[in-house]
Amino acid sequence: MTEHDAIAVRLSGVRLDRGERTILSGLDLAVPRGSITAVLGPSGSGKSTLLSALTGELVPAAGTVEVFGRPVPRRQRELLELRKSIGVLLQGNGLLTDLTVAENVALPLRMHTRLPRAVVDRLVEMKLHAVGLRAAADLFPRELSGGMARRVALARAIALDPPLMLYDEPLTGLDPIASGVIMNLISELNDNLGLTSIIVTHHVHETLPVADRAIVIANGGIVFSGTPAELEASDDPLVRQFLRGEPDGPIAFDRAPRTEAA
Amino acid sequence: MASRGPRLEFAVGAFLLLALASLLVLAIASTNGRFGFGRDTYSLTARFTNLGQLRPNAPVKIGGVTVGRVEKIELDPVKFDSVVTLAIDGRFRELDADTSASIQTAGLLGESYVALQPGGNPELLQPGDEIVFTQPAVDLIQMVGQYMFSGGGNNAPADDAAAPAASPADEEGTTP
Amino acid sequence: MPVAATIRSLGRAGLFSLSVLRASRPTADFLAELVREIYKIGARSLPIIAVGGAFVGLSLTLLGYRALETYGASNQVSILVGLGLYRELAPVLTALLFVGRAGSSIAAELGLMRATDQITALGLMAIDPVAKAVAPRFWAAVITLPLLVAFFASFAIAASWFQGVQVLGIDNGMFWQAMKDAVDFHDDFATSFVKAAVFGGTAALVASYVGYHAEPTIEGTSVATTRAVVNASLLVLMFNFVLSAFLFR
Repeated sequence: MTEHDAIAVRLSGVRLDRGERTILSGLDLAVPRGSITAVLGPSGSGKSTLLSALTGELVPAAGTVEVFGRPVPRRQRELLELRKSIGVLLQGNGLLTDLTVAENVALPLRMHTRLPRAVVDRLVEMKLHAVGLRAAADLFPRELSGGMARRVALARAIALDPPLMLYDEPLTGLDPIASGVIMNLISELNDNLGLTSIIVTHHVHETLPVADRAIVIANGGIVFSGTPAELEASDDPLVRQFLRGEPDGPIAFDRAPRTEAA
Repeated sequence: MASRGPRLEFAVGAFLLLALASLLVLAIASTNGRFGFGRDTYSLTARFTNLGQLRPNAPVKIGGVTVGRVEKIELDPVKFDSVVTLAIDGRFRELDADTSASIQTAGLLGESYVALQPGGNPELLQPGDEIVFTQPAVDLIQMVGQYMFSGGGNNAPADDAAAPAASPADEEGTTP
Repeated sequence: MPVAATIRSLGRAGLFSLSVLRASRPTADFLAELVREIYKIGARSLPIIAVGGAFVGLSLTLLGYRALETYGASNQVSILVGLGLYRELAPVLTALLFVGRAGSSIAAELGLMRATDQITALGLMAIDPVAKAVAPRFWAAVITLPLLVAFFASFAIAASWFQGVQVLGIDNGMFWQAMKDAVDFHDDFATSFVKAAVFGGTAALVASYVGYHAEPTIEGTSVATTRAVVNASLLVLMFNFVLSAFLFR
């Protein structure tokens, strides 16, 4: 069982379909506890689909997905329990527009715990402090800048102190400074709270510095898995094209149009 | 909702209060206020040879005041007259056994209703009793037709329904 | 086959409606959302309902007066106004105005929530999005529409009184007495509000279903809003006929 304890997420021979189309296949992956794993790849390659398999939104067509040593449940009750221990930061932030920042962060605490009001308020303060936004507690989401909103969403995602954090394109639409702030936060939270983090992104150069491991998804599967150093040193033409941002190479520029595998 | 909480709740409370108040005002000012008429009523029956325009739920009036409504109308398959069941408000239990029932219309084209005229009998009608003295509805069109085509006087081919209907109508005056 | 697709679509909508009912629990959180929604779709609809009601009252009185003049019964126009309002016009017109204002905003809000990942986020936080976002709106509509009908009728009757008594010279006492004699509390007045509750629930379910399942794009939200208004309006008119047939024997 010790091997299981060290591995937070394990995929074995997983194939993910959406409707009739196979998005990803032959996925074998082991994410160690406490690590930050960057999932890289071009847009539309199916990175977000991978996250859906971890949260239980998408049931694998083949293979097994294990989170904390147990397969992702399909039954509603157990799936809900699993989701309470996974924090997700979505591209659109998903902040409820009718609630203030503080009420947004308090939401998971009020819904899933029976802590008294004062304790919840204190916890919310702490989470907001962790992302540097204690002063924004009474603002509404529409009054926040992109970077601030992203940080509030992050505070909400860690509200229940989940052991696993999933980030879906966390740097979308952020200026370089805000990007730096977010990556910094992700790294600090991971280390200070002992989390396991998986970051899905195409912002290679901002993400690699904080990642312990990196995988590259392209052409329907995992084409690279290793440390960031190994990634940079790789000879694989596909990896090189991606790292250098070249428009043409093993990953073709003009493909037959298809819908985003988000 | 920290700062908007109290204001929001006040606005909603005011809305609800105003709405309920207007409901109350409307109910009193614009409806007939028959809130629960089905409560304390008792039944009487009456037979009529001609109902006119009488329908279920039509009012039953004494001297113009509504005291009940028509509950059921059925046709007697043997005698072929209609049996009307009246639901009378429980406050009016002292209708005497000589009460007569007739079918009137409110205005020339209005709805039909049952008018009760108390008699003088010391005995009272009990729930379920039948009103013995009844008068059928006056068929206005038939009357008009007769007067028009009979040249204004009495005439041989006048049928049974018209003759007894014509004379009490003459005596009491035309329907109001 | 379009017929099969339509039937399946209807089935999905039905199942969605069932899930809305199942997800309705009177927790403190639900009640807070309910109050907020009653304000948004009820209190904020008041101006349009009031103005609409007033104008309907004015026009109906004018029309009724002219129509009844032929029979010399124009001083009984309040009967026409009272019965017409309570039986048909108040519930239906209020519902249609409601669909246009509140129905479209419900569809737009839910569509926007879908597009900005709010609904997904709720699901991932193990919070039922239907319980949090849809159920309060549904019950707010069921509670609010009858109240809006009360407002509509008040303004319409007040305007009718003004038009009839002050402008057209009908006797004040006659106006009220004729109406009171004609409008039955159970058959006319109460059924008006039963209809309103049904219409409110229908409008909310249609708007919620369309908004909740909108495409998560700006275009998707816009399409959803239009579809919500059209479908809800048609259903209101349809149910109005069905209810009238059942309630008025």
